[in-house]
Amino acid sequence: MIRIENVSKVFNAGNVDEVSALKNVSLEIEAGSFVVIVGSNGSGKSTLLNLILGSFFPTSGKLFINDNNITQLPEHERSKWISMVFQNPANGTAPDLSILENFRLAALRSSNKTMKIGIDDDFVELVREKIKKLDMGLEDKLNQPIGSLSGGQRQALTLLMGVMDKTDVLLMDEPTAALDPKSAQKIMELAKEINATLGITIVLITHSLKDALQYGNRLLMFKSGVIAKDINHDEKQNLTLNEMYDWFV
Amino acid sequence: MSQFYLTALQLALCLGPMAMGIFISMKVFNIPDITTDGSYTLGAAITAILMSNHLPLYVVLPISMLSGAIAGTCTGFIHTKLKIDALLSGILIMTALYSINLLVMGRSNVPLINTLSIFDIVPIFENAQLNQLLIAILIVSFLIFFIIYLLKTDFGLAMRATGNNPIMTKALGINNDRIKIIGLALANALTALSGFLVAQYQGFADINMGIGIVITGLGSVLIADTLKKWFNIKKINGQIILVVFGCFVFQFVLAFTLSIGIDPNMLKMVTAVFVLLIVALPKISQRLIKK
Ligand SMILES: Nc1ncnc2c1ncn2[C@@H]1O[C@H](COP(=O)(O)OP(=O)(O)O)[C@@H](O)[C@H]1O
Ligand SMILES: [Mg+2]
Repeated sequence: MIRIENVSKVFNAGNVDEVSALKNVSLEIEAGSFVVIVGSNGSGKSTLLNLILGSFFPTSGKLFINDNNITQLPEHERSKWISMVFQNPANGTAPDLSILENFRLAALRSSNKTMKIGIDDDFVELVREKIKKLDMGLEDKLNQPIGSLSGGQRQALTLLMGVMDKTDVLLMDEPTAALDPKSAQKIMELAKEINATLGITIVLITHSLKDALQYGNRLLMFKSGVIAKDINHDEKQNLTLNEMYDWFV
Repeated sequence: MSQFYLTALQLALCLGPMAMGIFISMKVFNIPDITTDGSYTLGAAITAILMSNHLPLYVVLPISMLSGAIAGTCTGFIHTKLKIDALLSGILIMTALYSINLLVMGRSNVPLINTLSIFDIVPIFENAQLNQLLIAILIVSFLIFFIIYLLKTDFGLAMRATGNNPIMTKALGINNDRIKIIGLALANALTALSGFLVAQYQGFADINMGIGIVITGLGSVLIADTLKKWFNIKKINGQIILVVFGCFVFQFVLAFTLSIGIDPNMLKMVTAVFVLLIVALPKISQRLIKK
């Protein structure tokens, strides 16, 4: 469960380029839910995700995850609860490391990286099985540098890496923005499956209103740093694309 | 083989640890660390002082490596915690180390007389020079294995990923600052080990012995980098071995320049031009290919 209490974020406070990216936002996200966030550029969506991830800290307000106060916890210490799929596929993987090596680190997200060789036959098999399900032919390229793959492939792998280790929350910031339609759909379906089968809470930002309508059981719309709409699962059933377009005019 | 080249080979081996250290800071962590000039001399200074006080090698070796590790930790701390540019952090510590090294040695040159060097401890061959070579080869081989192993462990993967994509590693629970400090400590411990070896090989430590040594390590790493691209070597094993090979190439080029009678005072100039060539040639050849 994620709880956000009266969180504000001001960038460049006191300067001419001061921005109030989030204004006194409160939000509670139940464990196991799949929340989709839409909103115009600059409305504060990424700021919210980055605050949860810990890339920076709020100007005021508090953040909790499973009732742990994480407001001032550094990013690497809260990663035991949180996985992130970044908008830029390049951000989620280390390009010079092989697929296997990237997966190995992902499998250790919540534990110490020790002085032992962790990539053994069992681990290779485990990764191969998981990657095979993607149906992208990547299971034969486990030793290739991950940077040699396409953005869509890297994004799909990042998503799998996000659930290599136990996690409570999966944050996805426009994970499909850089991808072709087919890869994009694959990512969305995979997210849905992860949420349904593993019960992992997903918070996903998208500009695709179609996806926002199709996926998830709660829909938030951000406008100028506040949550302008909060649509629950039932309300979402009756929502149409046209109604959603109207939110933006 | 002429004396020039034997010496070059021996020196290349002695400088191998430093080159591997530079590989770790520059290639693994992507940090241009030039603490090297200082930590190399520090390793040598501590070695010379402790050895002339007749401390056994098994005490001298860890202390000299530890001193390098502390120097690297200082640079890493300034760089990560105070958010100061890596180059500047390195220059600051390197500069401070000049005084520290003078303090350690008490004068600008400490000769090693009547001491048993690491190259004399197991006299397998009659020929002292062969013996030196053998010991150096053993040490460097051990280091190659150790570093290859290290970089394949989970911790080593974390090190490599941090230099490669710090955004990802933070999200994967890695404390980037801490691991960078450890990396710089390791790199400079290796550099100090080269100081330890060279001091015993040449029989003295000198306050100026480290000046410009970083370029030797850098050159070796750059040679390795060029060869890596030529032969399309992706595995980390190959890259480490290439770094040591780069060291050989570098020392042989210097030996060649000396052997054809170039003024030794011009050696630093030759070094700089050689490194410039290594860096510039791939770019120039690319441009020619495009035309
Ligand atoms: N690191 C930052 N530094 C300064 N301003 C930022 C930073 N991140 C976001 N902003 C600003 O905050 C506002 C909200 O940005 P963001 O949350 O990225 O919007 P979006 O909804 O498009 O994801 C924008 O005006 C943006 O320019
Ligand atoms: Mg955004």
